[in-house]
Amino acid sequence: MPDALLIARREYLQRVRSKAFLFTTLLFPLLIALIVGGGFFASSQGRSGSGKLTMVIVSNDAALAQSVQSELDTGAQSSLSVGVVAPAGPGERRKIEGEVAHGEYDGLLWLDVPPGSLRPRALYEGHLSGNQSSVATVRNALTRAMTRRVLAAQGLPPLEIEEAVAPVNLRTIDLKGRGRSFMNFLGPYLMALMLYFSVIYYGMNVARSVVQEKTSRVFEVLLASTRPESLMAGKLLGVGAVGLTQVAIWVALALLRAGPAMATAGGKASLGALGITFSQTAFFVLFFLLGFLLYSAIAAGFGACLDSEQEVQQFSFIIVLPMVACLVLTPSVIENPGGMLSVVLSLLPPCTPIIMFLRLSAQTVPLWQLALSLVLMFAAIWAALWVAARIYRVGILMYGKRAAPSEILRWLRSS
Amino acid sequence: MSVVELDHISKRYEQKIAVDDLSLKIDAGTIFGLLGPNGAGKTSSIRMMIGITLPDSGRVRLFGEPFTRRHLRRVGYLPEERGLYAKMQVLDQLVFLGRLHGLDAASAARSAKQWCEKLEIAEALGKKTEELSKGMQQKIQFIAALLHDPELVIMDEPFAGLDPINSHLLESALLELRQAGKAILFSTHRMDQIEKMCDSIALVNQGREVLSGGVREIKSRYPRNRIALEFEGDGSFLSDPMIAEARNYGNHVQISLKDGADAQELLRRAASQARIYKFEWMEPSLEEIFIHTVTGRADA
Repeated sequence: MPDALLIARREYLQRVRSKAFLFTTLLFPLLIALIVGGGFFASSQGRSGSGKLTMVIVSNDAALAQSVQSELDTGAQSSLSVGVVAPAGPGERRKIEGEVAHGEYDGLLWLDVPPGSLRPRALYEGHLSGNQSSVATVRNALTRAMTRRVLAAQGLPPLEIEEAVAPVNLRTIDLKGRGRSFMNFLGPYLMALMLYFSVIYYGMNVARSVVQEKTSRVFEVLLASTRPESLMAGKLLGVGAVGLTQVAIWVALALLRAGPAMATAGGKASLGALGITFSQTAFFVLFFLLGFLLYSAIAAGFGACLDSEQEVQQFSFIIVLPMVACLVLTPSVIENPGGMLSVVLSLLPPCTPIIMFLRLSAQTVPLWQLALSLVLMFAAIWAALWVAARIYRVGILMYGKRAAPSEILRWLRSS
Repeated sequence: MSVVELDHISKRYEQKIAVDDLSLKIDAGTIFGLLGPNGAGKTSSIRMMIGITLPDSGRVRLFGEPFTRRHLRRVGYLPEERGLYAKMQVLDQLVFLGRLHGLDAASAARSAKQWCEKLEIAEALGKKTEELSKGMQQKIQFIAALLHDPELVIMDEPFAGLDPINSHLLESALLELRQAGKAILFSTHRMDQIEKMCDSIALVNQGREVLSGGVREIKSRYPRNRIALEFEGDGSFLSDPMIAEARNYGNHVQISLKDGADAQELLRRAASQARIYKFEWMEPSLEEIFIHTVTGRADA
């Protein structure tokens, strides 16, 4: 086995067996789940959350109340559990208002049908009243119940009434490249976040492990049998493989979770509610690899110049900076993925992994731009590896002090 | 054929010359001592010997050929700064290092177990390095350098920080290796070990070789001007003008004579004043030669 592979193998096994690996592998999806869950909760008040919301309809017209109830409480996707108190007078209403105030119900729909009229005066109150989507649900239910009632009053047979009120199946298509809201771009956005975290995390891991081997003087032992280039290559390979393993576990978890959704997606691999496609997953892996190689090569060079893990912490911001800038600019890129800013950013190698990934998810990127970004990325990776290997060769044997920039330039020239 | 041959090698770092025109030869079946004060260029020389760094000028030959990395499979190296993976199991670690030296996994494991038994730390094999004491870690490092049965063994300060029992264990291991025809280079500050074990030495100071040759031969070059004395009674003879320095340890005195002093005359004067139990002319110790050569002072 070549030295680089032996070193990569050691690095890989050592890391995959560590508690930190287990921890981050499990923690990260959990964090994402929390963010996603929080997002859905904010938008629909916990529709994906725990249990159903309860609501009560209070009316002096029992028939209307039951009709509205059945409109609200049908279908498996209904997240409401609806009770009915009818016929009810002002006494019951006050009692139930008290119960709503005490939190026994989440919402109260008050339907008061004046004598001799078909149309009710309707009042909706409760914890849900500020929420547009639940108000819309209630309004729809009311409208349909009223339609049924009016049509029935005109003597239409039930089948035709059913025909009239049945909801039209509205197909929706995303127009790529037009203004998007964050919510319907959640999947790709989260993937970009994961990309950011994993590239940074594994890049910094490389820097840290270089410094560790430097401070523990393991390098000196290894250099007595192998080249610095093999050491660096082995380290990048090993740590990169750990990152890939982790990404693979995440993808597998997401696929498991999205299994039922995929079955209905007609063979097109779609990661369920998040709307993540197979090609996005492939690009994710590609850009993880490219981003990791670029950033970890830089990190390896950095690590070789530094002398302690604290120094790695201090200097990590330099490495992280371009990535953070990309994250900050993400909203503008999502809004206008074909714009000048987005195109330029996606061609800059330090930004390519995140920005190009977002653009690819948001629009059909011109092929030449994708190709150019990949060529530039490969060139940048090659350059970073070249420089890092030279710094590495000298730096890993320098103990006890941090190398000054002028010194590093000399290393580059001398080797 | 010499196993190691350094031919006028020099290495300069930014501000200083680390190694200046150093030449030396080490033969198979001998132990070579590389001595010198801290920062004299010992580690720099060793690093050039095994290609970790390259000399600015001069040539390195190993096993009779110009140095190539291929030779490293036949070299075992124990660096001055010990380095092991703290969180890695000892056996895994040794197998990993053995494989880097070209062994297959099975023979690396076999060799690791044999050595651990020989050095009485077989119980460490299943432990993580960080769980071991300093001395045990050092033995593991020692083993790591010898796993692949190298023909050239290079050890930078192999005995530093070891207790006498473990020191003795490693000494015997090195002597056995010499017996088996290996060439061994070690650097140390401990002159007693050099005197006991080394066939020849080189003393370097400020990057230059200041003294080299066989241990016996070097010692014979220096005059015997030291006397070990034990006496009882009047000690006023100790301030005799022939004496450069007298260190009185109570019942034992170490005397350095001035150049040209007559030891026989000193003995007569001493005997006239005190009862003499012991009066011994001593050959100079390597330590004295070392200090004398490095500092230029005869006393110390």
